[in-house]
Amino acid sequence: MFKTAKNLLIIIAVLALAFSVVACNGGGSDDGTGPINLGVLLPISGAQAYFGNDMNNAFILAVEQINEAGGLLGREVNLLPVADDGCDPMMAAQAATRITSSDAHFVVGGFCSGATIAALQEFYDNDMIMVISASNSTRITDLNLNQSFMINSPATHQVDKLVDLVHHLGVTDVAVIHQGDDFTQNLSDISNVKLPEANINIVTTQVMEIGAPDVSAIVTAIRHAGADLVFWAGYFADGGNMVRQLRQGGFEGYIVAADGSSSIEFIPATGPAGHGVMVLSTPNAQLAAGGASFDEAFIERFGMSSGSYAAHAYDTIMLLRTAIENAGTTDFEAVRQALQDIEYRGITGLISFTPEREIRYSNFLVLQIWDGEYRLLPGL
Amino acid sequence: MLHNSMTEKQLYANIKSGGENSLFTTYEIIFQQLINGLIQGSFYALVALGFSMVYGIIKLINFAHGDIYMTGAFISFVAFSIIASFSEGVVGVVLAVIASMLLCAAIGFSIQRIAYKPLFDAPRLSLLITAVGVSLILQNTVMVITNGQFMFFHSAIDNMAGVRFGENIGISFLEIAMMLITAVLMIILTLFISKTMWGKAMRAISTDKDACRLMGINVSKVIGLTFMIGSALAAIAGGMAVIYYGQVHFFMGYIIGMKAFTAAVIGGIGSIPGAMVGGLLLGLLEAAGTQLIGSEWKDVFAFGILIAMLIFRPNGIFGKTTIERM
Repeated sequence: MFKTAKNLLIIIAVLALAFSVVACNGGGSDDGTGPINLGVLLPISGAQAYFGNDMNNAFILAVEQINEAGGLLGREVNLLPVADDGCDPMMAAQAATRITSSDAHFVVGGFCSGATIAALQEFYDNDMIMVISASNSTRITDLNLNQSFMINSPATHQVDKLVDLVHHLGVTDVAVIHQGDDFTQNLSDISNVKLPEANINIVTTQVMEIGAPDVSAIVTAIRHAGADLVFWAGYFADGGNMVRQLRQGGFEGYIVAADGSSSIEFIPATGPAGHGVMVLSTPNAQLAAGGASFDEAFIERFGMSSGSYAAHAYDTIMLLRTAIENAGTTDFEAVRQALQDIEYRGITGLISFTPEREIRYSNFLVLQIWDGEYRLLPGL
Repeated sequence: MLHNSMTEKQLYANIKSGGENSLFTTYEIIFQQLINGLIQGSFYALVALGFSMVYGIIKLINFAHGDIYMTGAFISFVAFSIIASFSEGVVGVVLAVIASMLLCAAIGFSIQRIAYKPLFDAPRLSLLITAVGVSLILQNTVMVITNGQFMFFHSAIDNMAGVRFGENIGISFLEIAMMLITAVLMIILTLFISKTMWGKAMRAISTDKDACRLMGINVSKVIGLTFMIGSALAAIAGGMAVIYYGQVHFFMGYIIGMKAFTAAVIGGIGSIPGAMVGGLLLGLLEAAGTQLIGSEWKDVFAFGILIAMLIFRPNGIFGKTTIERM
């Protein structure tokens, strides 16, 4: 009897402790003094770790510049350590809890759409605004959470550009390849709706697993289907492999890659086979009008050039700063409204939001790999 | 390579109409997908051999084996980057792969000595968890060295050159070479296991380790050798992957590790010919699945058939049913 009572006491004590930890959850509460804390959701392990680290470097640079210039509303801005989402929905849910149980006031980051989606509800429940740097699946829009703002052009903008390009090239039969994850599948689904509406046939839709080495079977199936153009909706490294094997396997039509492949690394990834391949891209630091000075500062600080989404990451922080300055407070509703009303010109272009909190203006460009370099495709 | 010499106009003019491209006959499709499947299957088979050998001898599912493949690819890449300055062609590639084989054999041996040997008498689960740990250590080491980035590689070996059968079908010399190398390695390994004293010792240990010890066989040395051979084979597969696919990444061992493990189970884990047949079969089934019902369903197709096979032969194609005598 005594033993049971003791056990019961222990259980009650543990439960009480657990609840008190939950109750202490400091996320979102702000008394207007002390630093403004930014939680960071990015993949810094797993296959997309490079992008996560690159984007976090851009965050670090932006926050250092703000603090050097006297901070924000007279307060210091403090970047919390990255909560690693590993580009994986399950890890992202845990990472989100880590952020909401920390002292974060706002959240920045978001690279893989699947991971971002898994984390967003937690931020919403804790009244925490998230400015999403790179994730651009329209499934984020579908969640309809009033505190998440996407600054990268969504998949619909991208497919509109693809339709323009396919018409420009004068072909009709397109094969789509995605990678089975949320972002690339979303792009494929939208293509499967929008392309037929524009009188373009999708002759086959294929899936290349992320990291799958051999895709020769897919290449044969695509050639068999008679495609004139392959739309690669996936990421740059697998894209390099796909392009090489498409050419090795005898595919001679056009290849267009989506923004997941829009990286300077896509050129060495494709090698000689990449000559002539087109890439839909939002402007990165190397291509954007105001990107050069950012890239210089980045190289000086980190000893290497910035990656595809570093400029988006930098814009994320600067946009949030402008919104907080406009609001004059870090109050949730005031900053949310300020973001909704904002017109901010960043490195990646003009940022303002639709009522659904997607970026309003498409900033997609068409690049082409030519003699081992990107060039803007003439006429588009 | 294909388009470098073309002008922009030629490049655009080069587009064939859909109708022309789709003039494949059924035989051509079957033949091309057969080649595709065999090449993919060769990789699975080489990696599966290491899984199967280690399992056969110490009943350990060595989850780190896929990462030995990755490490082998990485070492080949580094070695070739160094060697390329004085020998860029086939000789350089072969030297790089041999260097990678030797280093991976040493790594495999060290892993066995440091991480697994102290646990041979512990419950099997402890060993399994250790294998997962070793896998993460290898992955993260390469991740830190490469900064998590993909490394790309273009050898001077022309993968476009090859034998063509008519308009649509072809196989490159590199592909032929890879399949030949795999076949030769498998024959050598089979002879080694069946004809030499070391091979005999391996087979004996897989039956009864304690009896072998009593008979004066140096069990620990034989286990060490098994790890070295398995790791060297994975390193060859890794080296071939660098040359053929042209990229290295710290994560690349994961999928092939899973697939090779599957291949080993299908063939009958512990069986050498089983690992080879299992690997080739998995490669062929994946190619067939891609062609017949699309790449989205290729794994469902391949694994569906494999599950059905396991229902009828639960120990795999070449697996033996062991009878426990009380």
